[in-house]
Amino acid sequence: MLKHNLLLYLRSIKKHKSSFLINLVGLSTGLACVLLVYLWVADELDKDKFHENDEQLYQVRRNVPIGQGAIGTFSSNSSLMLTALQEEVPEVEMATAVFEIDNKVRLETEEKKLTAIGNMASEDFFKVFSFPLISGDKHTVLSDVSSVVISSELATNFFGQDLDPIGKTLSIKVGEENIDAVFTITGVFEIPKNSSEKFDFLLPYKTFLKHRDPDNIAWYSNSSSVYALLVPKTDINAFNQKMADFVAKRNKYLKGEQVLFTKYSNNYLRGRYENGKQSGGRITYVILFSIVALFVLAIACINFMNLSTARASRRLKEVGVKKAVGANRKSLIFQFLSEALLLSFFSLICACLVVGLLMPWFNTLTGKELNFVLEGEIILSIVLITLLTGLIAGSYPALYLTKFKAVKVLKGKIETSFGELFVRKGLVIFQFCISILLIVAVSVIYMQLDYIQSKNLGFNKDNVLVFDRQDALINTMEVFLEEARQLPGVVSTSYMQGGMTNFSNSSRGHTWPGQSEEDKEITFRHAHVGPEFIETMGIAMKEGRSYINEQPDNDSKIILNETAVKVMGLKNPIGTVINMRGPNREIIGVVKDFNIQSVYNEIAPMALLCRTEWVSNLVVKIKAGEEKTAIAGLTKLYAKFNPGLDFDFRFLDNQYQLLYLAEQRVATLSKYFAGMAILISCLGLFGLAAFTAERRRKEISIRKVLGQSTSQVTIMLSSEFVKLVLISILITIPIAYLLATDWLSQFAYKISLHAGYFLGAGIVALLVAILTVGSQAIRAGNKNPISALREE
Amino acid sequence: MLLQLNNIFKWVNSGGQRIFLLKDINLQVEEGEFISIMGPSGSGKSTLLNVIGMLDGFDEGEYNFLHESVHTLKEKHRSNLYKEYIGFVFQSYHLLDELTVQENLEMPLLYKKFKGSERKAMVADMLDRFNIVGKKDLFPAQLSGGQQQLVGVARALIASPKLILADEPTGNLNSSQSEEIMELFKQLNQEGVTIIQVTHSEQNAAYGSRVINLLDGRMI
Repeated sequence: MLKHNLLLYLRSIKKHKSSFLINLVGLSTGLACVLLVYLWVADELDKDKFHENDEQLYQVRRNVPIGQGAIGTFSSNSSLMLTALQEEVPEVEMATAVFEIDNKVRLETEEKKLTAIGNMASEDFFKVFSFPLISGDKHTVLSDVSSVVISSELATNFFGQDLDPIGKTLSIKVGEENIDAVFTITGVFEIPKNSSEKFDFLLPYKTFLKHRDPDNIAWYSNSSSVYALLVPKTDINAFNQKMADFVAKRNKYLKGEQVLFTKYSNNYLRGRYENGKQSGGRITYVILFSIVALFVLAIACINFMNLSTARASRRLKEVGVKKAVGANRKSLIFQFLSEALLLSFFSLICACLVVGLLMPWFNTLTGKELNFVLEGEIILSIVLITLLTGLIAGSYPALYLTKFKAVKVLKGKIETSFGELFVRKGLVIFQFCISILLIVAVSVIYMQLDYIQSKNLGFNKDNVLVFDRQDALINTMEVFLEEARQLPGVVSTSYMQGGMTNFSNSSRGHTWPGQSEEDKEITFRHAHVGPEFIETMGIAMKEGRSYINEQPDNDSKIILNETAVKVMGLKNPIGTVINMRGPNREIIGVVKDFNIQSVYNEIAPMALLCRTEWVSNLVVKIKAGEEKTAIAGLTKLYAKFNPGLDFDFRFLDNQYQLLYLAEQRVATLSKYFAGMAILISCLGLFGLAAFTAERRRKEISIRKVLGQSTSQVTIMLSSEFVKLVLISILITIPIAYLLATDWLSQFAYKISLHAGYFLGAGIVALLVAILTVGSQAIRAGNKNPISALREE
Repeated sequence: MLLQLNNIFKWVNSGGQRIFLLKDINLQVEEGEFISIMGPSGSGKSTLLNVIGMLDGFDEGEYNFLHESVHTLKEKHRSNLYKEYIGFVFQSYHLLDELTVQENLEMPLLYKKFKGSERKAMVADMLDRFNIVGKKDLFPAQLSGGQQQLVGVARALIASPKLILADEPTGNLNSSQSEEIMELFKQLNQEGVTIIQVTHSEQNAAYGSRVINLLDGRMI
């Protein structure tokens, strides 16, 4: 029987190639989408789950009031937190602190110099986390002040594949922390692919503490990330309640600060905090794309259902004859279901080929290193998905086609019932709703991204070079900048702590004249910058003067931004003396607000201090049109100061774009998904239109004989489908509006929605639908009516 | 006795009115009979045939087939009954276009749990008997009308039914093809198969042993 049905199916494919192709293309595209998203989602969900103690592994965060009733969530902690947790909290089995070095660090052997990214971690790091150690003992690798643990990659780069690096020495300079010493390699680790954190080496936390200014080892100085392994089965809610005032009770200036333990492996997907509470993050996109991929597959399934039932007449005779010779309904349902399954497995093969071909492209698009290898779990999942697809797509046609009585079928007395038409039209409307929704999504995301990138940031990001303060520059930064300023093509030079895209340092507990009690809670961002910083970045002054011609390390002056002045409530800020990051500073200037983080956040109050301490980046403004000369000059100068080191610089505007990488990826991905959804929907519409034209051939012929013109026939046939698309537009617009508003609400600065986005998407869908259906309608209208009538 | 219809009524409701398709049909068919049902268009010939063939139900009356009362049987039993004992021949042949002659013949056997080797033997036997061995790999579209109906009859016979129901088997055929098919029926009847056919032609009816005339759903 199976062979017989298979044969029947293969021959009917041969005979009705077009509907087979429509279904095959649709289902393969749908399955390919699902497969790609499956690989992506599986990879995202797997991030950071490799740590053996994942269930117990928590990160310590602080919820801090940042003024005006808002709460900020910070992951930085005081270095005192580590010992306090280890000694005083019984629920903490083990803890580790990590200080992340902002810039790339220079490491040297006698033969080789390399730059790498590194952290400083306390002794238990390799016991708390499960980064595999290839050599070295996880209990002791970070015990000694002069030990260093390096990644296997770095080891290979320094010593080649074969040499054992244990016991070899590296000299390492960390500018930020005034470290310049020789370290002995005590271990080699590996970073698993599914780790969200990447670093090349670890120095002992003791080294960090040794070089830190003792003033900054205090509860108010937050510099390190702290992680803890809690005792198994700790009730995290109760524990968080108990720990909330852990910091506040230790320092009177820190009251209001709440300690919060969050699961470490949640950081990657659920890393965004709003007003002290977890609120989404990448998980939003994981869910979003899973839904979108399923929708694309659903659209393809709908095509299959619609085409199968619409073209039922072709199969009804077979059903009738088979029933007459004794087939029961069950065996026929089985036959139709197996046909649908067969088709979905054909599609799976095509989808696998497509996915294989698209993998490199998809990896660039998503910035991942996914492999499409057919093995155990993946095979099982995709076979299951395909089975389900086949069953869902096949069930309706199978039940529908087999329900008729043999006698009626054989006499050709099948009328399309109202219910059936209703289902078919409903499914088409559903398809177009999704397509229109995706088109709206794409246009809103693109417009918002465009807005972000062209938004007036309050500073000029064009033609600004940024590079690390490292190596010789640590001590000779100012000499270097002075010489750089003389170079042709260079406009001005300065330096800064952190980057323009994220001023993350913050503090509170400051005082100023006329301050109210609750204003003591206000958190200020602050950064150390050089003279001419404000000019180099093109930040506008509101009043007062900038740090031009200022002596660095001047402890008596401060510049604030507009927001800071506003929240402090200062009427005449210039000349006012305040206590902020040191006593008795005179406000010499106020800058207009500029974006200090991504546009997700509102501009925070901020202070600029003229200091060289903690400075990590040098910035050089160059003349537009003279980039080449300027860069060539700078490269030469850099080589003079830092022999043997490459001049590794970034353009500020490129860095700024990287800030919105996630959004850009989402935009590109949704563009392709929307394209596929509309393509598959139109394929289905094309098939349905062709079928309708065929079914109404007799009617059309009679109409033409009675004098209706070709164009009238065309309009009559097209309008049937155009109506459906119009209904879809009406249904979708409110939904799209709600979703778009919701997505935009996460940005502090956003486009305002107007009707154009929605109508535009509707018009696109309508035009594509008219083109698809119109071609079929014109063909039907042009047929010679006699040939159709004679057949009857 | 092969089958017996007692006071069979069948109707449809249309616009609040009851329209009778069959009215008070009483019929006894003995094994080995060759019956022709005649009557004008719309007189209920095909309906009666479908009721006998259990493809269609009825609203009132009793129907006994080989001492089983069909009207009380469950759908599943009923289909087992006709699967085993009844073969159909249609006016427009109703061969499946995508299957070859051989495969069309094999199809009814697929629903009757015969083994592959048995099916092959039965198909070969039938091809032989109807002299169409040479055409076994052709598709219906490649055959003439008469040849297609020959295959149709062969398909009806393949599971050795006791009763053949033929609804205007020669309606689409020319006269010489008709004659051929009717000769075949006569021969089958002589071999012991009971045949009931619906026909318009007096000439075809003459092959049968008994004629039933219908008018407006009534036997006259």
